[in-house]
Amino acid sequence: MCYTQSMITEEKLHILTESAKYDVSCSSSGSGRKNAGGIGNGMPDGCCHSFTPDGRCVSLLKILMSNDCVFDCKYCMSRRSCDVPRATATPEEICELTVDFYKRNYIEGLFLSSAVHVSPDHTMEQLVRTVKHLRTKYNFHGYVHLKGIPRADRALVSEAARYADRMSYNVELPSESSLKLLAPQKSKQSLLLPMKQLKSEREIFRAEKRKGYFLPAGQTTQMIVGASPERDGQILRLAQGLYRVTGLKRVYYSSYVPVVEDSVLPAVQSPALREHRLYQADWLLRFYGFDVEELVPAAENLPLEFDPKCAWALRNMHLFPVEVNRAPLEMLLRVPGIGARSAQKILSARRYTALTFEHLQKMRVVLKRARHFITAGGKFYGTKNELSVRELLAAGEAQENARQLSMFENGTALSVRTGEL
Amino acid sequence: MIWFFDGSKDAFLTTFLLAYRDEHPIVSAGSHQLSLGQECVFVRADENKARRCEARLKELDKNCMRDLDLLLRSGESDAPRIAFEYFRLIAERGRPVRGMLAEDAVAKATECIRRVTFEVHRFKGFVRFLESASGALYAPISPDHDIADLLVPHFRGRIPDIPFVIHDVRRGKAAVWDGAHAFLAPLEEAEVVLSADETAWQALWKQYYRSVNIPSRERIRQMKGYMPVRYWKFMPEDPASAADRTARGASVQKSPDAAPRPPGSPRSPHGSPRP
Repeated sequence: MCYTQSMITEEKLHILTESAKYDVSCSSSGSGRKNAGGIGNGMPDGCCHSFTPDGRCVSLLKILMSNDCVFDCKYCMSRRSCDVPRATATPEEICELTVDFYKRNYIEGLFLSSAVHVSPDHTMEQLVRTVKHLRTKYNFHGYVHLKGIPRADRALVSEAARYADRMSYNVELPSESSLKLLAPQKSKQSLLLPMKQLKSEREIFRAEKRKGYFLPAGQTTQMIVGASPERDGQILRLAQGLYRVTGLKRVYYSSYVPVVEDSVLPAVQSPALREHRLYQADWLLRFYGFDVEELVPAAENLPLEFDPKCAWALRNMHLFPVEVNRAPLEMLLRVPGIGARSAQKILSARRYTALTFEHLQKMRVVLKRARHFITAGGKFYGTKNELSVRELLAAGEAQENARQLSMFENGTALSVRTGEL
Repeated sequence: MIWFFDGSKDAFLTTFLLAYRDEHPIVSAGSHQLSLGQECVFVRADENKARRCEARLKELDKNCMRDLDLLLRSGESDAPRIAFEYFRLIAERGRPVRGMLAEDAVAKATECIRRVTFEVHRFKGFVRFLESASGALYAPISPDHDIADLLVPHFRGRIPDIPFVIHDVRRGKAAVWDGAHAFLAPLEEAEVVLSADETAWQALWKQYYRSVNIPSRERIRQMKGYMPVRYWKFMPEDPASAADRTARGASVQKSPDAAPRPPGSPRSPHGSPRP
């Protein structure tokens, strides 16, 4: 029996989730929205509420408003020419679901997206209406991530930004030609224009110190990797450009999963390791002071046998080993195996005493890779021969990958800086 | 000498004052295997001594009481000893030692504190509320460390108008927010009359959890790393059976995500939804 006025049916929820789940964006961080009476607030560090058997976190209620699409993007299972069950939810259904899930602490907020139902303007209007409803009628102040619909009216885009915490337009494919081939109704311009519009409007909003919110958690985007022939070098150059020009908070990389059959699409799933390497490189760009030119040439892929920092270090052996007691933070961050957390620990501890290898071990700095690239108090415990270092590192990687791919180590203290959440 | 105390802050501070000059003290809040000829002392909290000790320690490190609070919440049996060593180092050096990570005592205390605060962070996500008939929310938890009341400010911030109870069933205590006050109360067992919609929302949540999973990308080890099995007990999404189904499905039958779908006949662009 059901007493709530517009509780969504299980079947509809299933259909609308099934088509939303391939969007990999999951973060709920970056917004400090306050509770102003009613329910919910933002948690700047973000928060994971559950984990599914595929190892991904459930942070937001990730759902489509509708999967009934007029577009025909080849890689998408909601495309017009695909025979799948269709459903469209009402704004009330989405709002009730969000508030009741949120209240029980199942979720951190809403990730609302939609297939292009009827027309881009109609769809965007429905999305905006839902979020506005959620904020004003349901008094919900939790996190809302709204997907932008390409080719929707400018005014609708601005209005959406007043209510959402984060918005994203998916670049989808790393080049205009692939986009033309696989997503004929989308174009680079239809995706980049609203991103730039939002960026400049956000800057004006902040400069004028106006009341309320305008995308407090900024914008993100997503690219599918492995559905088209672009190399990692090209993909990362695009990502770096997006970080610098459109001020994106994050670029997500999504390994291509074949959900539909088409002659222009590969039939095999793109390897998870490639996606993993792209994320590692992305982290190096944003938090470790690397430039894409240092990591990989435009026409090449990242090496699979080493992580990108290791690969860089092996190409630049003349810079190593560095002395942990004297090296500046920027250099410590470039040592393979030393991350933001370990670097901070070293900086802190060495103010009081000269560090030895025993100290580093005690501080739980992982030395498996790092020992080949550092000295502690002048002592070196690694292998001098570059070739054997190479072999040792590759062997260690192979072992790790065989065990399990764990993207991030657990922890929260540095979660924001390392962008973990 | 072995120093026993009841795990409270004041008893710890009293013990600290008494045991400070002991060269080889063993400080314990629980059971400790006694060997022949070992002396032991049971220390009772002494309000006077505790205040004196606290005032002196705060002079040396004004933030150290927060560290103590977190260390004493730890469920690990050697936490009191770690806390003792940490505070002894503060007293010896006469200043904050937080950054001296190369010191054994500091490294251990930092790790211990990190495990407690990390569990607090995790439970901000893993707590699951049930809605009672009165509208109040109830969440049973069984954390490793004594953190129930540390969760209250977080939830009070987001649902200030809804009373809630976070029940640590392992320690028999509950952290309560009644809409105006937050307090701790002993609570062994709780009887909750569920609201009319509660089971329906749980069913929807279960449906969502199953639907959002991608079975062809099974990574159960990673799932368990992020969300340890001991926390699954009170989660209505039932991660155990979902993991089980995914593991079986991945090897026996091809999941619908791995199998390419046959393209169907083109539909009219303005077709009505077909649920």
